[in-house]
Amino acid sequence: MKLTFRIWLLIILLLLSIVSIFSLTPAFLEKGVAVKFVEKNSTIFEQGLRAGMIITQINNVQINDANDYVKAMSIFSDNQDHKMAITTKTNQVIAVLPSNTPDKIIIGALSLTKIKTGLDIQGGARALIAAKDHKLTDSELNDLIAISQQRFNLFGLTDMSIKKASDMSGNNFMVIEIAGSSPKDLENLILQQGKFEGKIGNKTVFTGGEDITHVERSGQQAGLEGCYPNQDGSEYCTFRFPISLTEEAAKRQADITSTIPISSENPEYIAEKLDFYVDDTLMDSLFISKDLKGKVTTQISIQGSGSGPDRAEAIKSAQENMKNLQTILITGSLPYKLEIVKLDTISPVLGKSFTQAILLGGLFAILAVSLIIFVRYRKIKISLALLVTSFSELILILGFAALIKWNLDLPSIAGIIATIGTGVDSQIVILDESRFKIVSLKERIKKALFIIFTSFATAFVSLIPLTGALQVMGIGAAGAGLLKGFAVTTLIGITAGVFITRPAFADMIKQFSDE
Amino acid sequence: MELKKINEFYNKNYKLILLLPLLIILISLAYLGYFYSQNNDFVHRDISLTGGTTITILSNISSEELQTALAEKIPNMDTRALLDNSGKQTQIIIITSEEPELVTPILEDYFGFKLDETNTSVEFIGSSLSADFYKQLGITVLIAFFWMAAVVFVIFAKKWKLKFIAILLNLLFGIFLGKMFFSFPIYISLFILATFIITLIFIYLKYSIPSFAVMLCAFADIIMTLAVVDIIGMKVAGAGIVAFLMLIGYSVDTDILLTTRVLTRKDSPVNHEIFSAFKTGITMTLTAIAAIAVALFFVRPFGTVLNQMFIILLIGLTLDIFNTWITNTCLIKWFAERTAEESRL
Repeated sequence: MKLTFRIWLLIILLLLSIVSIFSLTPAFLEKGVAVKFVEKNSTIFEQGLRAGMIITQINNVQINDANDYVKAMSIFSDNQDHKMAITTKTNQVIAVLPSNTPDKIIIGALSLTKIKTGLDIQGGARALIAAKDHKLTDSELNDLIAISQQRFNLFGLTDMSIKKASDMSGNNFMVIEIAGSSPKDLENLILQQGKFEGKIGNKTVFTGGEDITHVERSGQQAGLEGCYPNQDGSEYCTFRFPISLTEEAAKRQADITSTIPISSENPEYIAEKLDFYVDDTLMDSLFISKDLKGKVTTQISIQGSGSGPDRAEAIKSAQENMKNLQTILITGSLPYKLEIVKLDTISPVLGKSFTQAILLGGLFAILAVSLIIFVRYRKIKISLALLVTSFSELILILGFAALIKWNLDLPSIAGIIATIGTGVDSQIVILDESRFKIVSLKERIKKALFIIFTSFATAFVSLIPLTGALQVMGIGAAGAGLLKGFAVTTLIGITAGVFITRPAFADMIKQFSDE
Repeated sequence: MELKKINEFYNKNYKLILLLPLLIILISLAYLGYFYSQNNDFVHRDISLTGGTTITILSNISSEELQTALAEKIPNMDTRALLDNSGKQTQIIIITSEEPELVTPILEDYFGFKLDETNTSVEFIGSSLSADFYKQLGITVLIAFFWMAAVVFVIFAKKWKLKFIAILLNLLFGIFLGKMFFSFPIYISLFILATFIITLIFIYLKYSIPSFAVMLCAFADIIMTLAVVDIIGMKVAGAGIVAFLMLIGYSVDTDILLTTRVLTRKDSPVNHEIFSAFKTGITMTLTAIAAIAVALFFVRPFGTVLNQMFIILLIGLTLDIFNTWITNTCLIKWFAERTAEESRL
């Protein structure tokens, strides 16, 4: 068979898709366990182990799977602290770890592909949040998202996404999705209102919002201060920005500090620190200069830090933390109550067997179609070409989904099936058009591609409203975007189909009928 | 000989045959009207579109047993068992209009174990949000349908000026539905909606009968499928409404094939083209039905929204065979014979 330009294009895109699905270093050749969750207030977290890392060795013993990991961690069964060397693909943690360390880490198997499945398949939690008796404006929604992000980060949850959504009547929502697991007190966590407190000892000096007159968000005095290496090779960066307190809060600070003695270890400062709490969790502590003792000052500087495995990550984390902190300080606790308008917690138990069923179903569906084609045309070559083309469409969709990190949920799977279905339809059109011997073959294929393109155009415009791409026209993605997956995968599939796979199929058929 | 007779019969009576689909469309519409008057809605909506809680528990307790035990404690409760393909029950589904906080403790009390993520899935949606989902999806299907028709018109109509007008009208139609439909008083909205629809149909009917035929056929598919869905008592979820979008896509495929074949034919008789298009089109529809039926068999035991999408598609595709090869075919033949006659004169 001669490989025409269109067939070459298909082959190249198929190879790229396979790389996109499995990555250049396929995961099934890799060994190790994936870290899914590390509790924030734990020694191992402070040492730099984070969700998303891949553990390859513990104490110089190769970790191939979860069993190896459990065996390595059983060292703690004596309830003693142990010195451990945990090697991940990006860094190494060597530290004395407390005996409760295994409880602070949740691990999982490495995923074979880069394809991500949706919550309805792999399990997890999803919540749609709106303000109670209040219409959230765009900027309020942005603040709400920043505050929630901060709160979830404090909780140590990283494998989650927070998105915006809106409905026909212009109500804004926040969509929170947490993959794989659902935290126990998810509802409380979501419904908290983002309270910032500055405390000295156990006395509150000021709270976010009401006691603050100004927060410097940018400018010379607000920003990153510097970055420093940790012992383990990871980095942390510090930031600071000034805020102005109300007279009242400043006076409160003066009253409290006047009673506190100068520190004996650190004579430059007073004995108690200024502690910052977000939703009652201690976030940072500042030394208070002895010059400020008993003095009414409305200007104070807020400090904080962010860390990461390398400098770029540390800078990013510090900048995010600064932005979130500023948001909380400005908005204070939310001026409205939140309500959960939709909450799903999907058990992951069915995930694996369901994926198998879907794959089997898809496989047998394509086989059934090929059988019908074989019965009708009695040519094994044609049936095979059709089989190959349908599989190519599947691989192109999956490759593209992996590339744009699209979560394949149930509606997306329906979309893939719809694409393959229309793909087969198009191929049948090509087959039949090419069989009319009255006009030239070229003419006939042209007619087939015209029919296919018209079908494509109708499907395209009828799916666009569901994607949310027409927000300007007031047509948001229906169902807060929960059904967007169907439209997106189908659009990817039929576009790839009409421009790549189906023309390539037409070329193959041309050659078969020349023979 | 037999074939020739059919041919003759068809040539003589194809306009009469058109009465059959017309009658069925009218019956479907009448049924939907009756259904609306009874239920104040065009479908039975499931919990994802009315608001409430769905709890799925890994358990083989029988649905009736649970129903009798808890019917008094949980208001508006419905239970359903999920079976795998060997007929063994794997899960029990409890559906209620109440919130999960109310239902979970009662269920935990009854089952004697704690419901958590290892054994249970909980889905909850508030009633105002679900009502909005329903409205949005309705608008989405309406726009999808009219834009699909516009594309067919743009491709098959002759005059560029009209194509431009059709596109413009459809864009305005989209903006009206998206931005204004729900903010105007309902009678004004319905009046504007009707004006748009009548204008568009008038343009299609006057300037491109084939486009009108495609549109009518897709409309008939949707209306008839909706009637069947209502008759079998299916409770439609959001994803089920999306299945109607899929249906538009599939049904239009065969119509476009037929239209193109008949309109671009050289000297061959119309019936010849119709028959060859039928051979192609029926293969297309049968493969789609086979693929979806096979996929349904494999995913059915999991009781996901895919089941409903596939069932709606199967109903719609079956009805599409009737609509494409009777409704659309008779119309396009009428049109083709008329133009042929006009050009002879």
